[in-house]
Amino acid sequence: MGRRREDGETKEALHHIVNEMYTKLEKGETPTMTLPVRTKLNIDFDKKLGVYKYGKKKSTRDASSLGSAKNLLRALHMVEFIDEMIENGKSSTLREMYYISEGWGHGKFSTQNESNNLAEDLEIITSSMREDFRLRPEEDGSRIIGNLTINELNRRGEWMKINARDDVGDSGYGVPYNVEEEKIQLLDHDIDFIMAIETGGMFDRLIENGFDEEFRCGLVHLKGQPARSTRRILKRMNEEWNLPVVVFADGDPWSFRIFGSIAYGAIKTAHISEYLATPSATYLGVTADDIIAYDLPSDDLTSKDVEALKSELSDPRFADGYWQEQINTMLKLGKKAEQQSLAKYGLDFVTDTYLPEKLAELGLA
Amino acid sequence: MYSQLTTGKQTYVKSKIASENTAIEVNLGIDTRKNKAVKYRQERVIWTEDDEIIKHGLMIKTEMKAKFQRGNQSIGQYLKMTSIVNPHANIRFKYINSEGETEIDEFWKRATRNLPKPVNSIKPHPHGIHLGQLQRMLKESEERKLTSFLRQNFSGVSSRAAKEVCTKAGLSDGAKPKLLKAEQINSLLDACTNVKFLPPPTNCLSPIEDLLIKKGLSKTIDSKFVTTLTRSPRVTSGNPYQIEVGLIFGGSIPSDQQVQLLRFANRVPLMYQQGGCLLTQAISSVDWRQYGLEQSGGKGIPKGPATILVHLASTNVQFTSEAKEAVASNEDVLQEIRKSLLELGRNLRRHMKKKKKMAKAQEKFDLINDILPAIAEKASSLLNKPIPELSRTISKIMNAVIFEQSTVWDKETKTTKVSGILYNYTARPRSYTILMNWPEKQGAVMIDNQRGGRKETTGLWAWKIETLQPGENAIIEFGLDNLEKGDWTETEVFYRGSAEIIGASKLDEKILEEMKRQNSEDLDEDLGIENEVDETISNVASRAEVSNINLTEVQKESFQTKLFEEEDE
Repeated sequence: MGRRREDGETKEALHHIVNEMYTKLEKGETPTMTLPVRTKLNIDFDKKLGVYKYGKKKSTRDASSLGSAKNLLRALHMVEFIDEMIENGKSSTLREMYYISEGWGHGKFSTQNESNNLAEDLEIITSSMREDFRLRPEEDGSRIIGNLTINELNRRGEWMKINARDDVGDSGYGVPYNVEEEKIQLLDHDIDFIMAIETGGMFDRLIENGFDEEFRCGLVHLKGQPARSTRRILKRMNEEWNLPVVVFADGDPWSFRIFGSIAYGAIKTAHISEYLATPSATYLGVTADDIIAYDLPSDDLTSKDVEALKSELSDPRFADGYWQEQINTMLKLGKKAEQQSLAKYGLDFVTDTYLPEKLAELGLA
Repeated sequence: MYSQLTTGKQTYVKSKIASENTAIEVNLGIDTRKNKAVKYRQERVIWTEDDEIIKHGLMIKTEMKAKFQRGNQSIGQYLKMTSIVNPHANIRFKYINSEGETEIDEFWKRATRNLPKPVNSIKPHPHGIHLGQLQRMLKESEERKLTSFLRQNFSGVSSRAAKEVCTKAGLSDGAKPKLLKAEQINSLLDACTNVKFLPPPTNCLSPIEDLLIKKGLSKTIDSKFVTTLTRSPRVTSGNPYQIEVGLIFGGSIPSDQQVQLLRFANRVPLMYQQGGCLLTQAISSVDWRQYGLEQSGGKGIPKGPATILVHLASTNVQFTSEAKEAVASNEDVLQEIRKSLLELGRNLRRHMKKKKKMAKAQEKFDLINDILPAIAEKASSLLNKPIPELSRTISKIMNAVIFEQSTVWDKETKTTKVSGILYNYTARPRSYTILMNWPEKQGAVMIDNQRGGRKETTGLWAWKIETLQPGENAIIEFGLDNLEKGDWTETEVFYRGSAEIIGASKLDEKILEEMKRQNSEDLDEDLGIENEVDETISNVASRAEVSNINLTEVQKESFQTKLFEEEDE
């Protein structure tokens, strides 16, 4: 992602973590690992970059309890594992690493979530990217449909020109996990904006209705909370082609979070927000107002939904007037609605009426 | 009767007592119209089994047509429950299906060779008498004067009380009992309820005793923790009764289901009408949440990996119906059961607390024994540096004195091994006295106690640990002989000393004094029955006969415990 590190640099940064533990042990103290606090309490707006980044709050993990001691041991094993991969020119998926940890004795992970989180911890502490660690996700990126042309380096090492409208089937162009310059080049397009869509059902509905051609746009399927590569390619299309990005999601607290991670950066990846976030992205819908305005079929908010909304109220990313109003409206309404609830008025309603009206508000149609 | 109704066949009975050479064989039927037994055949036979002469015993063979059921209301469950409250009995249950295959073959081995104490007969108490019974007693009485009738046939009636009853009933002291008229009997009964009497004797009951319940429960249900309690006998409306309760927890008992209830009245399992039973009501009335079981709203049958046992022994168990399926309401008994359950609850809570504490200590041990050395080793090898010395770090992390204890059954030597290590993970030298309980009263013998120490009181041993330096540890080990597997599974550890020990409780000197006092009292009692200790089979057998004789006497007396009484009226 434009700032790949030298292997030596990565190794040195990782060994700083080991050194911190060793020095403590040498002094007869409890070994520790220091890292930024990874909650919404420690993300600050970076004016220069226009995204949210981790603040200055640090937390210390020490080996005084069984859980955190195991975590420290795992970190050491992971450092050793990364060292070896760098040494041997190999790479592995996060899931492979999770299984490899079976052989790490007491340092074995009990869930893959643990190993993913620790990989992120190491990224943050060493200001590296997991690509520097030779680790890659197994989650695939999204699908894209629209009149845009991409150059992708295929497995045989040849550049392949793909038009995401003419050269693909109904499922669209599949975004690989690495979307950096060395793998993907953005060649050409004839569209006016990009629309990111939360659910596969809605993505397919818009394709079937020929929305991308009629409204001259690229459609990107987010698959729920979008993967890093999805957010990265949105950002590149936005920056390199100067295309506006609009987000079309369900009308519930989790969709707000999806938008937050696209526009402002996710809390989990706040250390690389400037590579992943698209600050100019706008939220199209479904908004809390839409539920009322279009009289959409809705469900009651669950206690978890309410909790999530309340937590968003105090999230710095949602501190502006628009989001405070949306969140409060939804809380007052006590309802949420899915994208596909628009089908109440027929299959074409979303492309004939809803989206044109919403896009008109944004000046895109 | 059920056999006869469904198959028309007679019931075969063979019985022999040790003092006679032959057994009696009879075929029994029942005259359902007269509600009387009919003997069809009686013969004296020599009873042998596998060429061995059976000295004494009873055998009943009966054939009936019925649906074979499994689960909670089955023969198997009934026998299993029976074996819990009859720990002196060997019970074998075999189920052979219509194809001739043995589908079930279960054997509950006896947990003790001691027979239950035979029940003593007592006379009824005026507060517990019913009209019908009083009428019959009066009719059959030989006494000439009402006062002497009252004094001779009831317990707890002094001559002053007998006179008072007569006065209150408006009858003369000298009225002839046999000739009393119906309304006079009514006023006599009324008077009885309004006069104070001495309480009836309570030594007539035969409780199972908590230790035997414990054994019975442990052998039938696999669990981690058992607590039992036998309360002293009490009296409700003239009837002596006694409550025994037990609770077992953990092990293989499923934790996501309602607690299983085992209800007994006079050693007989109650299998039906659980909801309408006083014993269930008592269990439901306890807020089990405070003791670590789940219970919605703090009422009703709790959920969790536990089984609760309640045994009501009484000369007169009041059932809700003739079917004797459930115990009828009685506030005194309810409160008494509640009290005993609360005590079990407290024991359970203490056990869980201890377990939690031990789990916490165990985590720390894992941390310093496994994780920390691994961290040191990995960090050193990644940096190509020597492995640092860890003792200072360990003391910093633990910062406590810890006692690690285990009680395990050694299959090889057939003994119970108790071992413990005291670690000083603090920066200062420490001294303590460590005390552990052991089942001395149950006849256990302490062996292989290398560290020596001394006896603090019966069932409590003490070891003095002088100045344990920081980082040092001290080991205490001993074995327990003369016990069976499962007899002793949990050793409690106490300490005397200033700083807290994780894994041990501070010794409460007041409780110790109480224990010492109790033990000296027990000692006096024990001396009295010393010569009974050697319990050979023949001893047991001869005692069994004695209790048989008691039984027949009891039946003659006709107002003994309901257990032996026929259904009357």
